[in-house]
Amino acid sequence: MTKPLGNRVALLVALSVITLLVLAVSVRYGAIDFSVSAIGSALASLFPGQPEPTLAQRIFLELRLPRAILCLLVGASLGVGGTLMQALFRNPIVEPGLVGTSSGAAFGSALYFVLGGVFHIGMSLWSLPIAACFGGVISTFLVFLLARSRKDARSSIVMLLLTGLAINALFMSAIGFLSYIARDPQARSITFWSLGTLSGASWKAVQVVAISTIGGTIIAFRYAKQLNALMIGEEEATYLGVNVNRLKWIILSVNVVIVAVATAFTGVISFVGLVVPHILRMIGGADNRFLIIGSALTGATILTLADLLARISVRPAELPIGIVTSAVGVPVFIFLLRRRQYIF
Amino acid sequence: MLQANNITFRVRDKPLISGVSVSFAPGKLHLIIGPNGAGKSTLIKVLARLLRPQEGTVDYQDVDVQNESEADLAKRRAVLSQAVEVAFPLTVREVVMMGRYPHFGGRPSSVDVKIVDDVMEYFDVTEFSERDYQTLSGGERQRVNFARVLAQLWGAAVNSQGSPGSCRYLFLDEPLTFLDIRHQMDFMKKVRSFANGPDVVTVGVVHDLNLAARFADDVVLLDRGRVVANGSPAEVLTADRIREVFAVEPTFVPAGDSSIHLIFN
Amino acid sequence: MTKRKRSLLVFLCVSVAMLLFSSACSRFRNAPNVAAGERYVVISPIYNEIIWALGAQDKVVGVDLSTTYPPDVKKVQTVGYHRALSAEGILSLHPTAVIHDNNIGPPQVVEQLKQLNIPMKTFSAKNDGFDGTKALIREMGAYFHKEARAEELCQTLDAQRAASLEKVKQYPDHPRVAVIHFGRASSVYLVVGKGGGGDGGGVSQMIELAGGQMAVENRGMQRMESPEIIAQANPDVVLVTDYGYDRLGGSVDQIKALPGVATSNAARNNRIYRIEENVLNYFGPRSGENIAKVGAIIHQK
Repeated sequence: MTKPLGNRVALLVALSVITLLVLAVSVRYGAIDFSVSAIGSALASLFPGQPEPTLAQRIFLELRLPRAILCLLVGASLGVGGTLMQALFRNPIVEPGLVGTSSGAAFGSALYFVLGGVFHIGMSLWSLPIAACFGGVISTFLVFLLARSRKDARSSIVMLLLTGLAINALFMSAIGFLSYIARDPQARSITFWSLGTLSGASWKAVQVVAISTIGGTIIAFRYAKQLNALMIGEEEATYLGVNVNRLKWIILSVNVVIVAVATAFTGVISFVGLVVPHILRMIGGADNRFLIIGSALTGATILTLADLLARISVRPAELPIGIVTSAVGVPVFIFLLRRRQYIF
Repeated sequence: MLQANNITFRVRDKPLISGVSVSFAPGKLHLIIGPNGAGKSTLIKVLARLLRPQEGTVDYQDVDVQNESEADLAKRRAVLSQAVEVAFPLTVREVVMMGRYPHFGGRPSSVDVKIVDDVMEYFDVTEFSERDYQTLSGGERQRVNFARVLAQLWGAAVNSQGSPGSCRYLFLDEPLTFLDIRHQMDFMKKVRSFANGPDVVTVGVVHDLNLAARFADDVVLLDRGRVVANGSPAEVLTADRIREVFAVEPTFVPAGDSSIHLIFN
Repeated sequence: MTKRKRSLLVFLCVSVAMLLFSSACSRFRNAPNVAAGERYVVISPIYNEIIWALGAQDKVVGVDLSTTYPPDVKKVQTVGYHRALSAEGILSLHPTAVIHDNNIGPPQVVEQLKQLNIPMKTFSAKNDGFDGTKALIREMGAYFHKEARAEELCQTLDAQRAASLEKVKQYPDHPRVAVIHFGRASSVYLVVGKGGGGDGGGVSQMIELAGGQMAVENRGMQRMESPEIIAQANPDVVLVTDYGYDRLGGSVDQIKALPGVATSNAARNNRIYRIEENVLNYFGPRSGENIAKVGAIIHQK
């Protein structure tokens, strides 16, 4: 296995380089373009003894830079979320958006915006992501439990997608209801939540999402080998010594947390988790150790490119990023559905 | 030695197997036969410790299995199932290497790599090693899976304390289903030769009575969840038994060193 | 080339292409006009309409998507929907102040602008009626140093209002009117209630001044989920605001298909009309003459 392994490490290095390149471009261009020297002087102004940063430098340091980094982190979490979900459900046509996690997390966030003021829930930095996790956990576990009845692998994936569809509809209409009863300032927070945006990025958001994404990815990576075994079947994995039930609960929880926390700060962004693992399998095979790291990198890259497009195509206005990811993701989803080996 | 003591396994109050007591000695090939619904698959799964029986115990008599973790047991016990569905593009080599998963932590050692090479050679799948498992035919896939399962058990047996001398356990749950005649025979010969190992307990489920008669040292006849007979093929596969359990009329045709049964209604 | 290498190559090419495309886009964009002086980003349809009426529009460098009047306003760059703004987008226009009517979002973006010490201005007067509108015009006239023009607008407004009310008196009937508005934030059709309020703004006042009655009782704007809302009200006339009307391709049949409309008197007599949001929904400098316009529309047979 050494030769293909060497190839995979090289691939991961290449993906890292691409991610850094894309980060560099996204940091430079947008509604405002920053030249390299402008970026340099903005960073220099952080050091003590330098003059106070100008407005342009502050825009870079307080808006552009955290947004670029948040974009990497959210993209990574969506990519890893997709890989984990596909490994868990043993099917490549699932992703957190399709299976209710994102809409549940969005519902949790909306609940926080609308009711948090009413009940004076502690408005600490962590209240929002916790509320999102709460929502994401309920919706995902609902789907997981409702779709579990079949023994036959093929009909169970159809059950899964249909149940996910239903739960998505349920939670999106719940969000609609919340925006209906919300007082106006609250309603403004949950408008457009279903389309996703990175415009609210801040260093605080980066802090929180970094912890959940990096922590979650490290935990998931530790179980990568067991997830590999799961690919040949739950029984087979048990015979190989894997405690399948425990694995499922752990991975599902990690999955929900990293996606929910990201969704809490950016709204629902779909299809990244579907497309990213698919691309990676095409270029490097299905080993989860490669996939987990690769999908973090590739998810980061893809979301950053999507955000770049969202920021540049109609500037100074912005497209909701969910529109960009759907535009790419939906054709891929349909293409995957039509490759018969996955369902029929 | 593998000992089943008075096992009963129920699903929602319906017993799939009841009061099953059998011992399986090492160095022999034990085959479980019976009509559909007899409980053969259930029995294998209980013996392999995938399912826990509501009554009775399964003893792997060389070591105290209660204290052994699943992960450690997996080093000495492997199961070959009917068919393995894989929804992702895995290469044959990757599938076979999974058999070594219980034996290494992060990365496979050179020993693991060598074992995978050897076992692929043995089952004649080396030419497929970089091919996508999903593109193989049913028979080719079973060879790959058998390779994986034997890779799991390859080499001298080592128990959880690291000392040699304990048994290895191979279970085969109707593994011949998608194989053509040639591959069925080839398979059974390889199983036979593996089962001869003095520290190996081999238990399998087959449908074909001829194969059972020809290859098994010991036959367990199961009907409606109970053991009807247990012993050598000649002892178990009598005309009366076959008539009673399988509801068909057998004719015994002697042929060379094995006797072949022609069955018709 | 193996399938895997080919896929990797495609992926790399697409990524590179997207990168080049993005950077090329930036090369072709217009350099912002960094002229000295006041530069305003104004995020409110009524504020913009008044600024244009005052003749102060040369200082406006950015408007929101919902600002549609006067037609000239389309020459100015838009910063997007007022509830889905982006701080960077606004700042790329180098504004000296952001003028808004407290209806902007998302809240994080408002925070960001405040933290960067961007001056944010809201006028205290509200255009909730004729008096409020005149107060607003005067306040904005003072802010933009166009006091004389502001006075002119107020006098014109009063004169036109008086003339319109005279005209409206000639209509013998007071048709029951239902107003349907498409809420872009929630992406649903809404029906405006008699109590006005919320984004319903001046609708009920305008309808009543124009010689009609609001057919639907409730306060503010309501979703059209239940057909009973319109069916029970049984309006004689249905007005649909421009965006919502055009969204259905201007098809009267499709409008009749909205919940409860088909059975109404309005549908039976085909008294379903399009109306510009900026004529009906809020009070502004043209509201004086708009009364007559609305009156003409709802009284036509």
